[in-house]
Amino acid sequence: MSVLLKAEHIDKRFGITHAVNDVSIDVSAGEIRALIGENGSGKSTFCQMLCGIYTIGGGTFTLDGQVVNVKNQVEANKLGVSIIVQEMGTLSGLTVAENIFLGHEEPFMSHGIKNTRAMIREGQKLLDAYGFNSIRAGAMIDSYNFEDRKLVEIVKATYMKPKILIVDETTTALSQNGRLELYKIMDSVKADGRSVIFISHDLNEILTHCDTISILRDGEYIDTVKASEIDEDGLKRLMVGREIGSAYYRTDYGKAISPEVVLSVKNVTVPGQIENISFDLHRGEILGFGGLSECGMHEVGKAVFGASLDRSGTVTLSDGTAINDIPSAVKHSIAYASKDRDNESIILNESIRNNIVLPSLDDLAESHLLKAGKLNHFAQEYAEKMQTKMQGIHQLVSDLSGGNKQKVVLARWLGKGSDILVLDSPTRGIDVKVKQAIYALMQELTAQGKSIIMISEEIPELLGMSDRILIMKDGKINGEFMRSESLSEEDLIAKMV
Amino acid sequence: MGKSFRNSKFFGFMILAVMVLFFYAVFKFLSPSNFGSPANLFSYFQSSIIYSVGGCGLYFIVVMGLFDFAVGANIVLSSIVGVILSEKFGYAGFIVGCLGCGTLIGIIIGMLYNRLNVPSMIVTVGIMLILESVAVFAAGGVKQTLAPELRFFSGAPGNIILAFLAFALMWFILNYTRIGTYCNAIGSNEFTAKNMGIDVKKYKLIGFALLHFFVGIMAILTVSYGTTMTALTGMSTMSRNFQPLMGTFFGVAFRKYGNPISAIVIGEFIIAIIFNGFVALGAPTTIQNVVTGAALLAIVTLTARGGRGSVIK
Repeated sequence: MSVLLKAEHIDKRFGITHAVNDVSIDVSAGEIRALIGENGSGKSTFCQMLCGIYTIGGGTFTLDGQVVNVKNQVEANKLGVSIIVQEMGTLSGLTVAENIFLGHEEPFMSHGIKNTRAMIREGQKLLDAYGFNSIRAGAMIDSYNFEDRKLVEIVKATYMKPKILIVDETTTALSQNGRLELYKIMDSVKADGRSVIFISHDLNEILTHCDTISILRDGEYIDTVKASEIDEDGLKRLMVGREIGSAYYRTDYGKAISPEVVLSVKNVTVPGQIENISFDLHRGEILGFGGLSECGMHEVGKAVFGASLDRSGTVTLSDGTAINDIPSAVKHSIAYASKDRDNESIILNESIRNNIVLPSLDDLAESHLLKAGKLNHFAQEYAEKMQTKMQGIHQLVSDLSGGNKQKVVLARWLGKGSDILVLDSPTRGIDVKVKQAIYALMQELTAQGKSIIMISEEIPELLGMSDRILIMKDGKINGEFMRSESLSEEDLIAKMV
Repeated sequence: MGKSFRNSKFFGFMILAVMVLFFYAVFKFLSPSNFGSPANLFSYFQSSIIYSVGGCGLYFIVVMGLFDFAVGANIVLSSIVGVILSEKFGYAGFIVGCLGCGTLIGIIIGMLYNRLNVPSMIVTVGIMLILESVAVFAAGGVKQTLAPELRFFSGAPGNIILAFLAFALMWFILNYTRIGTYCNAIGSNEFTAKNMGIDVKKYKLIGFALLHFFVGIMAILTVSYGTTMTALTGMSTMSRNFQPLMGTFFGVAFRKYGNPISAIVIGEFIIAIIFNGFVALGAPTTIQNVVTGAALLAIVTLTARGGRGSVIK
């Protein structure tokens, strides 16, 4: 196969961080190439230089014999490079058609006048051709949900038939159906002799849908392997640089759950989200919540933390204290890490220190006054305990990778000494090394008598870490399973669908 | 009701129509003889369309997350320049003076905003103070009066024709040029808009220029309606900013239904009904500020309020 994209000595620094360090990769025509690595390994930065989101720090991209050094995505599109990003990539206030053709209005312009009808007609034709008939090109994008908007983004990124399509951790935002549509599009790009660069933390997905896999570690190129010649353990080894073995999940079975109830949820309903939910959380227990993404499990976490609107029913601690709002939850030692980490769990434009000390300021104050030295010491202690990869505690959280942001969230609650932790999708978008660290921490905490509610969309995680699993369907609890070696994914799925 | 109906232009229009009927009915009930005759309604409408024109202009920058405190000052200055030029060049001088001065100020504000890289609110407060003083110099400390033979735009049909030409222009720009799309895109996410190749600075400059072109039209209508214009200093032009802005709030709140212009026009008409309704009830003139403030809060609360639990800054 001929080389379509040649990346030679690509380099990028952000301050003292060497994000991409002299990376050289060839991508062949008609290939789906996975790019994997831990959080902060440089894979997204590498791709974002190719498509103009970041300027190239050093080195050269050559696409089909032409040097690519673009200033923005539109220039990249014109040279045949498109990207689908992990987070929301469409713009509010515009129609679906305006989003699809944003920056590419030229075919619809005549003497500065836009042929809006033709744009909508063409947009609808594209949506229909992709099978997304339910989306109307003339409608405002705001009237569609996150997944539909992601589908619009897929159309936007691929309708021009790019030579290289970059899919950057997109699948976590899609349901199973959406994923299948994306895989089909990737296959058709490959069949046309064009190429896909696919970034994901889901190694099974990578092994199933990619031809070759390039591994980056700490910004450096490690190796490129054929998907058919390696397994998940081999990939983990290459990503992390050491064996990630059997200690990945818990290995203990048959541990008795303490009879002591620390939190009791009775008949909790949040209109339109969850209905009549009741369960007890025991001391030292990891209680897993699973289900399809819209089953209501994420709302359970919010309801326990007092963050739900219009909640009815009761959430009480063992001493009878009612938890009805967030301040009382925090005061009574309940912690919550949201699935939407960037918007609901951390303050992006604040330092690591300020994020960690936030709920503990009352405890750290002396005569209502805060001392910088004490705050620094506190933040340093817990950031180090979580092995946060950082330049220092005064670094902005926005500079950190997803995994390290999650470590900051956990460091915060660890510092607060919370006894009950509600962790919603604790390892979402996180690489295997950090995952392993988080799982180890969860076990350490439960050994200390702390209790955890773990909400997860990953069935292996539920099976591997929970003492007890509650499966939700349509806002209700639809099944309960105790930890067991014989419990299988099929058992859980049967209660989810 | 289906989701698509609730997002339709018709549904948005229906909400506005219900608001018009509601306020009309309330004041007609309270003051049946002084309020709401067809002639009265036409009069309210004529005064409201002047603000609607300014509201249309403000939409271009408010939707990008910007703000402009110099609108009132530019109305005064452009009116004075237009009247002065009309004395030599008749209608041509009047129209070109108002539009030219208005647009030029918009371009200057846009360039300064881009160059200084400070918030639009600060830039426009500074410009407002300068414009007020320039207007005093231009007027020579004398009240400027539009000649009686140049008052075609003082009442129907001249004022309505001009205002509707302005609305048509806004509709055309929003629907048939890149400007409307790009202004919305910049307001939605400036970083992404930049990545889409949009020259953000250029479109912010265009936004300010368009706003003040519409302010120029508003100046024509304002000085024609009142026939005189007096230059004042001490931030006294500030109050002229808010009435057009309320129409813009209507436009922004109802843009999800697909047509902000009708929302701006009907929104200003609703405010005119409320204001004149209080006047008909015999409320003192000073009630205007109370009504304006209360109407602003009520409108924004009813139309643009975030959902429960949403973050409002």
